[in-house]
Amino acid sequence: MNRWLRAALIAGAITAVGLFVWTSWPPNSQYALVEISFAIVGLSFMVAGIVAWQRWPASRLGLLFTIVGYLYLVPYILVNLANPVAWTIGNVTEGVSGAALVHLGLAWPTGRLRSRFECGVVVADYVQNIAFNTAATMFWNPAFSGCNASCPANVLLIGDGSRSAWNTLNTIEGLVGLVITGVVLTLIVRHWRSARGWSRRAMIPLLWIGAAVGAEEILTGNLFHFSATVTYVLLPLVLLAGPALFVISTVQARTAAGALGTAIVDLEPGASPGRLRDALARALGDSTLQLAFRQPGGSGHLDTSGQAVDADRPDNGRTVVPIAGSDEAVLVYDEGLELEPQLIKLTAAAAGMALEHARLQAEVQAQLEQVRASRARIVEAGDAERRRLERDLHDGAQQRLVTLSLALGMARDRAAGADPELEALITSAGKEAREALTELRELARGIHPAVLTETGLTGAVQALVERSPVAVTITAVPDERFPAAVEATAYFVVSEALANVAKHAMAGGARVTIRRQPGRLVVEVSDDGAGGARAEGGSGLRGLADRVASVGGVLRVDSPPGGGTRLEADLPCP
Amino acid sequence: MIVDDHDGFRSFARGMLEAAGFTVAEAGTGVEATEAARAVRPGLVLLDIGLPDFDGFEVARRLAAAAAGGPAPVVVLTSTREARDYGGQIAASPAAGFLPKDQLSGAALRAFLTRDR
Repeated sequence: MNRWLRAALIAGAITAVGLFVWTSWPPNSQYALVEISFAIVGLSFMVAGIVAWQRWPASRLGLLFTIVGYLYLVPYILVNLANPVAWTIGNVTEGVSGAALVHLGLAWPTGRLRSRFECGVVVADYVQNIAFNTAATMFWNPAFSGCNASCPANVLLIGDGSRSAWNTLNTIEGLVGLVITGVVLTLIVRHWRSARGWSRRAMIPLLWIGAAVGAEEILTGNLFHFSATVTYVLLPLVLLAGPALFVISTVQARTAAGALGTAIVDLEPGASPGRLRDALARALGDSTLQLAFRQPGGSGHLDTSGQAVDADRPDNGRTVVPIAGSDEAVLVYDEGLELEPQLIKLTAAAAGMALEHARLQAEVQAQLEQVRASRARIVEAGDAERRRLERDLHDGAQQRLVTLSLALGMARDRAAGADPELEALITSAGKEAREALTELRELARGIHPAVLTETGLTGAVQALVERSPVAVTITAVPDERFPAAVEATAYFVVSEALANVAKHAMAGGARVTIRRQPGRLVVEVSDDGAGGARAEGGSGLRGLADRVASVGGVLRVDSPPGGGTRLEADLPCP
Repeated sequence: MIVDDHDGFRSFARGMLEAAGFTVAEAGTGVEATEAARAVRPGLVLLDIGLPDFDGFEVARRLAAAAAGGPAPVVVLTSTREARDYGGQIAASPAAGFLPKDQLSGAALRAFLTRDR
């Protein structure tokens, strides 16, 4: 808000209250309390006006609060000025503040009246107030209040006036005011019922305050008769509820801002946009809040519940704000929130941060997935290559060596007896060939165990156990076949573990258990040896852990010194 | 009958076994083996486990099934690999036993025939 406007409003408020005090000085003991009560109510509206203008520069609420304040005090100042024209104007305008209050209530919380009908109601209230007061003033002879010559003259007075006509007009005005008050309260209830989101939240204090002010209007009217203290001192204080409306709405916005911060902090990392929306909506108290994303291909937006949102032309009563740092995301909220631009900025920034966080997290996750998949592919390709090598050796060199060895055997049989030297030579050649065959077989088995390809884990584990120098018990091995990568990994775990048992453990015995569990294959090898093996150390356990991780599994080593070693590989297996 | 997809080994084994007094027929695949077995009704089949169409265990099962009622041939499985590379499959098959290729001889095969009788 403009500096000058603020200075003018402050000066105006000080002047108005100053004049009010000055014109009613010296305080008449009979009216002192009434005047203090009036000054408090008028000043509170003026102050609320200044602060509201500052907080909601785009809305008319500040102006309306200010107008109510002036309309409340000025007529009394005029009446007290002891000037006939001022006195008359004061009497005519006394009570117009009530119409301004109706205006404020109907325009809450945006500052705009909602329909032509409501504009009509507000105008009618202003007009009837002035019309009835003007008419009644025409029949009011100041002498009726017993002040004879000391009173300022009534410039509108017709003849000597008529107390009964004045009474009748006041009674009619009271009835008309009652009808209008009823209509206004009904409208406010309807506003509350049709309001959604932030607007509904803002309407709730108005319901109570409207009821209180409505009751005040009725009670101070001319239909009821209370003691002067009640009518002129206590009941006007009910009007303090008007400025209270402003205070409550400010507190609501502050609370929401605090709740937003908490909501973002409490949001679990990587929460879905739906959860983000729910958290923001809860914090704001706007259940209609929508978080919408541009559809790939650019055809409009969809909110987190899959509902289409037109970001260029939002529905009636809705407003759209883009989310900072994102081209695709927008927030759609109840237009009542427009009064709180800070709150909107805060919400959009919070949403932007949370979305960016989720996006980064998803990116890292995707990269991790890619790395995992490529690691698994590399290991699988390695396995496939080793299988191929083993088969090539088997089909080629091994086959030829077998034939060679058999031929040498036959040659030896032919030479037997005839030429002992030749026989000895062929025998030694045959021995070389058989040894070459054995070495080649071991080499092929080291490259890839044929038994694993042929029979799966059952035969392969059996073969490992048979070759182990330590006594090994097989507790369980499932008979079924598993994906090649899982079988190979399980095989290498058992093979490496048994090799370690033989080399380091100084164990009397070992035990192999392979169990099929839903979605997993658990390989366990334990021994009763020296323990003290560590996964981080050498002994091939590090490489084994990598191998297990390549299929997404976990290797656990439990090896207390002196307490044996237990190796468990937990492999995911469909 | 010798069943093996490796021509060199087949002709070599044929020479060796004929020299040892066997009458020899040959087959290069599992399908050929089952067809030839119907025609020549061999007394003994030297059956390689690694065949191109289906493995020796399957061929042994088919031979046993085809001979249902009649006299079944004595099947001896063979491979350049060792018996333990096949785990329990050899024991589970209807074959009479396993002979590593590098230990092939007429005497070794006759041992299966006499043992089986």
